[in-house]
Amino acid sequence: MKDGSAWRGNWRVRLYERVRERGYDSLTAFAEARPTASLVALAEELGKDEVAGAQVFGVLVDEADRSHRLTRLVRGQLVRELWESLPEGWPAVLDDANRFKVAMALGSWSAYTPETHKERVKQARAALRAAPPPPGWRPLGPDDELLLTLLPDEEA
Amino acid sequence: MTSTPLVLLLVMTLLSAGCASLTPPPGQGMDPRYMLNEATGPSFSEGMGQESPLALSSPLLSSQEPEASERLHRRRGALEAVPAAVPGGVAGDARQSALTAHLAFRGALGDVSGSTRRISSELSRLKVSRRGIAGQAVGIFVRYVEYGEHQLRWIDAELAASSRLATAASEVEDPDMQLALLRLAGPRLEAAMMGSLLLAVWVDFLNLIDVAFKQGFRGVETLFVNMERWRKMLEPSMKALSSLEPGQVEAAANDVPALMGHLSGEFNSTAEHIRVSMKRVEQLIQFAQLVEMVTMLSAMKFSLPSLTPSAPATLGVGLMVGGDGVMMGTRVVVSAEWVEMMRRLVRAGVLSLPAVSATVRIQAGQVMMAESHDELPKGVREALGDGPEVRGMRVTGKAGAGMAEPPEHHVLPREFREWFEKRGFTGEMSIDQFCVKMERARHEALHGGGNWQLGRKWPGEWNQMIMEALREAEAEAGRMLTRSEVLQTVAFHMKRYNLPMNFTSWRGK
Repeated sequence: MKDGSAWRGNWRVRLYERVRERGYDSLTAFAEARPTASLVALAEELGKDEVAGAQVFGVLVDEADRSHRLTRLVRGQLVRELWESLPEGWPAVLDDANRFKVAMALGSWSAYTPETHKERVKQARAALRAAPPPPGWRPLGPDDELLLTLLPDEEA
Repeated sequence: MTSTPLVLLLVMTLLSAGCASLTPPPGQGMDPRYMLNEATGPSFSEGMGQESPLALSSPLLSSQEPEASERLHRRRGALEAVPAAVPGGVAGDARQSALTAHLAFRGALGDVSGSTRRISSELSRLKVSRRGIAGQAVGIFVRYVEYGEHQLRWIDAELAASSRLATAASEVEDPDMQLALLRLAGPRLEAAMMGSLLLAVWVDFLNLIDVAFKQGFRGVETLFVNMERWRKMLEPSMKALSSLEPGQVEAAANDVPALMGHLSGEFNSTAEHIRVSMKRVEQLIQFAQLVEMVTMLSAMKFSLPSLTPSAPATLGVGLMVGGDGVMMGTRVVVSAEWVEMMRRLVRAGVLSLPAVSATVRIQAGQVMMAESHDELPKGVREALGDGPEVRGMRVTGKAGAGMAEPPEHHVLPREFREWFEKRGFTGEMSIDQFCVKMERARHEALHGGGNWQLGRKWPGEWNQMIMEALREAEAEAGRMLTRSEVLQTVAFHMKRYNLPMNFTSWRGK
């Protein structure tokens, strides 16, 4: 059970220590090497009960902001949300249970989107509703073709 | 029915150890369960010294039957698969433990409900007992039947709330949230459990008086004075239990065995007083038999001293293991299944060990144990699920000397109380029930801005994040989320924030 101890002390320093111990010079590099892992899984790999998933995301946002790759991070976050809530891929039948799973995944995606991208994510979600992806869709990373059409990088 | 050899043996050993040292020499006619006031009796601690076979050592494990020890081993294995032992990883295991705890909870709930139903029908019967308690002295004793009904009402209300929480738990998918909901129901079940034990004693008193009047006893004044005194003895514990304040409930649970001891002493002397004042022999015998009969109905099998002339024959009955568990004569003290059920609930952090221990002490009739306020011996505690990981699992809310309580925080934001109410978060499931205790610094880390924000462009403030996740999920689904879906979503996000899935209810103003 989680005990909240991930919040004690200076968690940011602790988080970067763990990242370096694992041979990465940025959290982004660590996370991109695990594109389908959930935030909780990433945090647990860095240190069970030492780092929280939400902290991982906060730091990823800061790093992506500095390298101007926020859109890519947002796409990558949808990948993680989908793998976590719909591990079998996009449901073939949207019954009540599946509708909730999709809703929770996409609701969570919105909540884990930086302010600057909230509107674009809303539009992407509307597009997904209008034209649902093929059953079993399970993007492997932020470069997934369908994802790129949903949420292209600004410069593209 | 499956038996639990280890547990059985432990409890049996405990009880027989206690009994052996306390059983009076034959002919002395003293029930070991009623030695509370016997200065000459050996103290319990002597009987249960360091040499106690309860230390869960070799004698128990080197069982004569290899088959039995094998069974014991398997059972052990099964028991380990309970929440506290699961290292939060394997989803299947967590699901299994949640299910196990849920079944145990339902079982315990059923037990207590059964006894309150019996109490309820007894009270209804007494209330109209014209020739007995209801008809004497223009019905001044009816108030004591009503006092029982009054207590029954809160106990039944807590049982109903516990049952609703258990249902809510079964509707949530996340096993950690399921356990958290059962733990939320724990203090209610615990209070109802202890309350119903006390209430059963109260019904015994009412029955005693009913029978006395029916047999022509006319000492109305004495009985009225006694009744009032007993009510006052009972009242503080009942009040503490019905408060649901975890600290108070636990303290009351610790005191209940001692209280039961005193009350049984009172019962004893009153029954004796009534008996002595009965002049005619046949009347006397009939009274004694009736007392035995009515108290046989008592839900808690409150063991009473025998008043019949044949009494000595039934005294000093040793404890034996029978098919149904630990037996005292023909009476089951605690069944193997019961111990198993309690063990699971204690391991899951649903019930506290003090409450469960108190119940065992009462059921065994070893009321003298309570005098020292000692815990049960280690082996028995372990059989009942005690272990280092269990302690501190339940938030007791004890504001002990010098121990500052970390503040509580609503997981479901208070500003959105109405939003949650519309989705079924009312009563025992109100947002005030879903608080977590966190030190100030951690709390600020969750809620604060400034230096505490998680990312510059994503502050990650809990309230804002969780409300957005919930609202956007509703927008996506095109409908309101159900209560279970809200809890599922909250459990999901609590894990991301590394929040302990251990709720306490709001005690702030």
